[in-house]
Amino acid sequence: MFVKSYILLLSLLLISTSAAENVFSAKLIGSLKNYCYDCHDGDSEKGDVRIDNLASLKLSDRLDLLNRLQEQLYIGEMPPRKKKKQPSEDERREMIEMLTAELKKYNASKLEEKLRRPEFGNYVNHEKLFSGEYTHLKGYTPDRRWLISEFIFNAKINRLIDYKPSKTIDGKRVPVIGENNRKVNITNPFLLPTNSGVRYYANETLNGGHLLTMITNAKELADYMTYQSNRNRNYLPAATEIMAMENSHNSTLDSRQKFLTEFIDVICGELFKDKNESLLPKFVRIEIPDASKSNDGKAVKKAAFHAANPGKTEMNIIYTSMKKYLPGNISDQQLIEKCEKEWFFAGHDARKIRARVVFMNGYMDDIKKNMDKGYNKNARPPVYKKPSAEQYQIYAEAILKHRKKGDHYKQIINKCMTDWADQFKQERIKAGPPQLSIVKELVDQLFVKIYERHPSPEELNSYSSLTNNYIKDLGNLPAIEKLIQTLILRSEFVYRYEFGNSGADKYGRRMMSPRDASYALAYALTDSSPDQELIKAVESGKLNSREDYKREVIRMLKKRDQFYIIEEGLQKERCDSITNLPIRELRFFREFFGYPQLMAIFKDQKRFGAPYDSARGRLVDEADLLVAHILENDKKVFETLLSTERFYVYHTGDNKAMDAYSKRIREIYEYFKDKGWENFTKAEDLAPHAEFIDKVKMRGIDTKRLKKDRRYNPLRAFQTAMKSFTARFDKGQKAAAPYNSFPAHGMANAMSRTGHRLSDPQVAKFFNIDMKNWNYEANQPFKIAHRKGMLTHPAWLIAHARNTETDPVIRGKWIREKLLAGTIPDVPITVDAVIPEDHHKTLRMRLVNVTEKPECWKCHERMNLLGYAFEMYDDFGRYRTEESLEHPDNLIQKRPDKGDVTEDLRNVYKTLPVNTVGSLKGTGDSGLDGDVKDAIELADRLSKSTRVRQSIIRHAFRYFMGRNEMLSDSKTLIDADQAYLESEGSFDAVIVSLLTSDSFIYRKAVKE
Amino acid sequence: MQSRRSFLKTSAMTAGALAITPSFSKIFAAENKNKIPHRFIFIRKSNGNIPSQFSLPSFSDVQKKMDSSKKAFEADLDKHELPVFLRALTPYKEHMSILHGISCEMSEGGHWSYSSPMGAFKSGRNSLSGIKRATIDFELAKLFPSPFGHVELSLTGSYSSFRTGIVSGYSAPAPHQRNYCYADPLTAYNELFKSVINPGAVDSDNSMLKFLEEEEAKNIKNLKGLERDKLSTHISSIESVQARNKKVQKMSGAISRFLPKLDKVHNNGGPNASTPEKQEAMTDILIAALSTGLTNVVTYTIDELSTPIKGLPGNEGDHISIHEVGHNGGYSGVSAEKIREKIKTGHIAQIEKIIKKLKAVPEGNGNMFDNTTIIYMPETGAGHHGPQNEMPMVIMTGKNSKLDMAGRYIRLPFHATEGHKTLGNWYTTLLNLYGNPIKHYGDLDLTMSRKKLDQLGPIKQIMG
Repeated sequence: MFVKSYILLLSLLLISTSAAENVFSAKLIGSLKNYCYDCHDGDSEKGDVRIDNLASLKLSDRLDLLNRLQEQLYIGEMPPRKKKKQPSEDERREMIEMLTAELKKYNASKLEEKLRRPEFGNYVNHEKLFSGEYTHLKGYTPDRRWLISEFIFNAKINRLIDYKPSKTIDGKRVPVIGENNRKVNITNPFLLPTNSGVRYYANETLNGGHLLTMITNAKELADYMTYQSNRNRNYLPAATEIMAMENSHNSTLDSRQKFLTEFIDVICGELFKDKNESLLPKFVRIEIPDASKSNDGKAVKKAAFHAANPGKTEMNIIYTSMKKYLPGNISDQQLIEKCEKEWFFAGHDARKIRARVVFMNGYMDDIKKNMDKGYNKNARPPVYKKPSAEQYQIYAEAILKHRKKGDHYKQIINKCMTDWADQFKQERIKAGPPQLSIVKELVDQLFVKIYERHPSPEELNSYSSLTNNYIKDLGNLPAIEKLIQTLILRSEFVYRYEFGNSGADKYGRRMMSPRDASYALAYALTDSSPDQELIKAVESGKLNSREDYKREVIRMLKKRDQFYIIEEGLQKERCDSITNLPIRELRFFREFFGYPQLMAIFKDQKRFGAPYDSARGRLVDEADLLVAHILENDKKVFETLLSTERFYVYHTGDNKAMDAYSKRIREIYEYFKDKGWENFTKAEDLAPHAEFIDKVKMRGIDTKRLKKDRRYNPLRAFQTAMKSFTARFDKGQKAAAPYNSFPAHGMANAMSRTGHRLSDPQVAKFFNIDMKNWNYEANQPFKIAHRKGMLTHPAWLIAHARNTETDPVIRGKWIREKLLAGTIPDVPITVDAVIPEDHHKTLRMRLVNVTEKPECWKCHERMNLLGYAFEMYDDFGRYRTEESLEHPDNLIQKRPDKGDVTEDLRNVYKTLPVNTVGSLKGTGDSGLDGDVKDAIELADRLSKSTRVRQSIIRHAFRYFMGRNEMLSDSKTLIDADQAYLESEGSFDAVIVSLLTSDSFIYRKAVKE
Repeated sequence: MQSRRSFLKTSAMTAGALAITPSFSKIFAAENKNKIPHRFIFIRKSNGNIPSQFSLPSFSDVQKKMDSSKKAFEADLDKHELPVFLRALTPYKEHMSILHGISCEMSEGGHWSYSSPMGAFKSGRNSLSGIKRATIDFELAKLFPSPFGHVELSLTGSYSSFRTGIVSGYSAPAPHQRNYCYADPLTAYNELFKSVINPGAVDSDNSMLKFLEEEEAKNIKNLKGLERDKLSTHISSIESVQARNKKVQKMSGAISRFLPKLDKVHNNGGPNASTPEKQEAMTDILIAALSTGLTNVVTYTIDELSTPIKGLPGNEGDHISIHEVGHNGGYSGVSAEKIREKIKTGHIAQIEKIIKKLKAVPEGNGNMFDNTTIIYMPETGAGHHGPQNEMPMVIMTGKNSKLDMAGRYIRLPFHATEGHKTLGNWYTTLLNLYGNPIKHYGDLDLTMSRKKLDQLGPIKQIMG
């Protein structure tokens, strides 16, 4: 039996081998036999992969397998590292080349495309890059178009439509970049992926989805830009000129319409005298139901005045008419009738008249009370001023020509307007199309506006001719709109251009044109087009050398006079989210650490024990504050980010202001603590303290009303505040956190830098601060126990956790890839990565069961041992020594679902101790590698690692270059690393080094 | 380089551009030529659906008790009388299901829910970054491609006036992307049926695209590798849009046949049109968009809190704020409760019209409604601003529906109890039934997670 089987198997192997040899070169088959068949022939088929039958596979399966072989060989995952028999470097390269050649026969090789992706960046050997053996290779970046990012798109659109947002920051109104609350309805199609790490690469292609969205955007923009050119003659002067006659006609028509709408009754009175009224239609009053009676016999709560009024425009009409008849000896009903009659003769829409009358009937008292408040005081009856004789004649002629018996005034006006509009149209036809010179000006101005450059002579001719065709087919305004659409839809609008332009050096490299370089530099540090200084440098020939680049980069890095919105979404969460650092410098670390991703992770409020949803924004905002603070100091940046023990908690970044807010609460507490405030029973009890209350501006107490208004009683607000303030001191706390004592609109105890109430003090709970006994620290960042660096910041911990539990695998993967320049293969598609439920075990115990099997551990050992150390924090980033086994069966104490913000509302479950022992392997430093007792020790060691420093520099390279590094970038990376060391850890120095490196400055044509 | 075919595939469901760019040919026409698509109409309403109002007046005492105590049970609709506001659908009881016991805790909550009830996520106060995934309507549209892919209509406003034109929508074609929608009937009419109403504009678009194609082609000559691919992809996209424009022009016969007639009151955004008139007109457009084959999925925000309610029967002169009604404010002696009922009656009248008209269009061996599902749902759960542990819905299904729920009053187990179903389960059911085998669509309910209750997958008891 055994012999038979063996013979059969041997025959099969021979058949498949011989078939394979017909397809592949003997050399490739030999290499595969030598290094792969041991594990992947018909006998073993490890990982369900069999290679010896390649030739018998159908083409699609074969190509798929060849691609996997090519990739595994390239990334060094196969043969497994533990295998003694390994191909030499040359053999490996040769095998890859042969596989690639085979795949290319079918245009099926995927490796090249994969290697361009950010997630494959680490597959360039780290040791080789920093060994110094490759510094002779000359750095360059391929010539390229780089699709704009979502941020650049927004900045471009804002520039195009002259949208200049501003914000109050530290009490001053200042311009900001990054706020996109514009009125034009634009969809951003250039969205970046949402992963941690570098997100913006030059690999993306303008595709059909982008085009479809841009077609709509182009229409919206064209519409808005022509509207702007009508409002502002400096916006697009040529468009304004082309449209001058039409605009003038429209303006005349508007003013005639306005005049007649206001005074046609006067003119008609003059023209038709006592016959006028008889020419009007017969006035019949609208019947309205009696609102005082309930429609269905039940008591009806009447809608509030503000909720029943028909809107600002309608209110203006109501007040304007009412004021014609008031004051006067007139009843409400007479007043309503007079107004109704006026509107009826004017020809207002019957439904609108009905709505006004119904409203006036129901709310006359309120209407009168509000007559001179706010906008309403601007509603005044127009004062008739007789027009010039010539104008009067025009009106009179038209009215006499068009008025018919029974016409409402509006009908007469409409007929006059139609007549005049026709006359004007004839005038424009007679004037003919715009001259070529002005069309050329239009093309030039639009090129400058949209592409920030003048057109070439060929472009000028071509687009002028196109515009003339548009004018002929569509008319002036639609033609201008169509031209705008055309220009916006050209790929130039959405691609950045980075092409070599000067004479090539002996390595075939060219520098970018000064213009391209100015954009490359501007977009490296900001999302905006080049600033004035960069433009000047281009114009004066001062952007042609490495030194020129250096000068501009240093200048831009020092710039602090421009504020940026870091993330608009955070502002919706009542956070400042502002910085005056160059935005892309800060954004690098946001993306690298990936902590903003926490915003997409939703959690059970009950498990947090306080309002979680609103606190998460503050957590990210304060993580941003910390990163910005470290960048502003610019010393030992990487080490500090990884090992700082000082953090921001419930803070704006303004120590002075926060100190003042905190002291104010102490002042109030000290003032009242011995005054028996608990026994105050009436508003008058507060009166003796009015001066103090005014001085400290206690919320909800208007001292002027204390004596005047007997119904006014702010005692509840006062006592709520005092109870809260007392609780902040009665345990001997040194200082109070200046949060609100009770929810209310308006003035708060602490304000944000942008003038909003500083909210969500429960952010303290992420840091295990007991809010009932909070010694608030106004001078921040400040030291917090059990924390060390960004990897122990709750924002990072939540962003790298799941909704309901921690995730040591994802945390470990992050460290392996981002800090140790390591690689982790994709999860095999056959693996269902689920951790089994077991409410008697900790997560680590459960994870061990499924990931430490030999076939899993090969990859998981690179992640789990790093991630386990973070089990000292739960999935909210709170420090712990025990893991709560959150399962109904383990419930020990159920706590209320609602309570004061200082309460801990979490249910109490059985617990088990957490095991935080992990292991660090891969720093290349035996003094650092080894077991760690927890995340604090791990963070400490990581912060001291050379490899970690270099790994961050590799990511910075990718971020600023928009591509993965190659061996020819070795010198650039080593130089950046040296710049960091020599500057005592300045990230600015790293940026300067990268942006003045050969890799950035030089471009080379793509060969294939 | 991307082929035209792959362009069509990748762009078919991209962005609201499809929903608003008027000139598109029938995407995947060849693939679906012989297959009758299924159609979905999502009607979103504001102010919640108060569960007691969806209870049946003829329930027995036992049923009433079960219903008010939120106990799971079912009842045959044909044995019961419908609540007053639903009576217009009495002839269609065999198609109807009143579905209780679905929760939407994972969506936004509060006065507005934005994209969240369509995507089963929290949308971060309508921030782009909060849009976590393509919403259910776009996911379903992928399964039944059409020239427009997806159409969104909305009657929203700023309390005193209606929005008009093309505005931001609440559906999302992809994560972090917001759809466009038509905010007034005339705009929707002009944009959707442009190939018939204004064929010159389509020609003009194509001339522009031709010019652009030639311009880009000039730049491609000296490029190689990836750089060449980048431009050739763009050129290919431009070609494809032109081709689709031409194809949709060829559909003008079908479009003309179903073209609705719009009253002049809707001109210039329809400032004097009453809310019922606007709803009627939008419904006509919705029906025509489906009947012509321009789309198979429509999302219709029939109102939101800031939609002005004008011209409501019995309150013709009132300018009603739904928000105020939500806080129990009445108008002209009519209670908030009664107004709520009248508003819902108006909504249901639109559903009746849709059913009636689609039933009149022959399709296959039956009619168009046979292949249609209408989902009438609140955006904010069971009340003005929640709670979200319930969101009663009315589902109308044609006879070819894969859902097995017609003719039944279904109350599923209440939130956070064994067997409870969430909005995610409901959407997973729709996707699974119609060809997307996704394990679970949408975010999980975290209270259910805390209680370790199973919440993944479709609602098996309503799967046909």
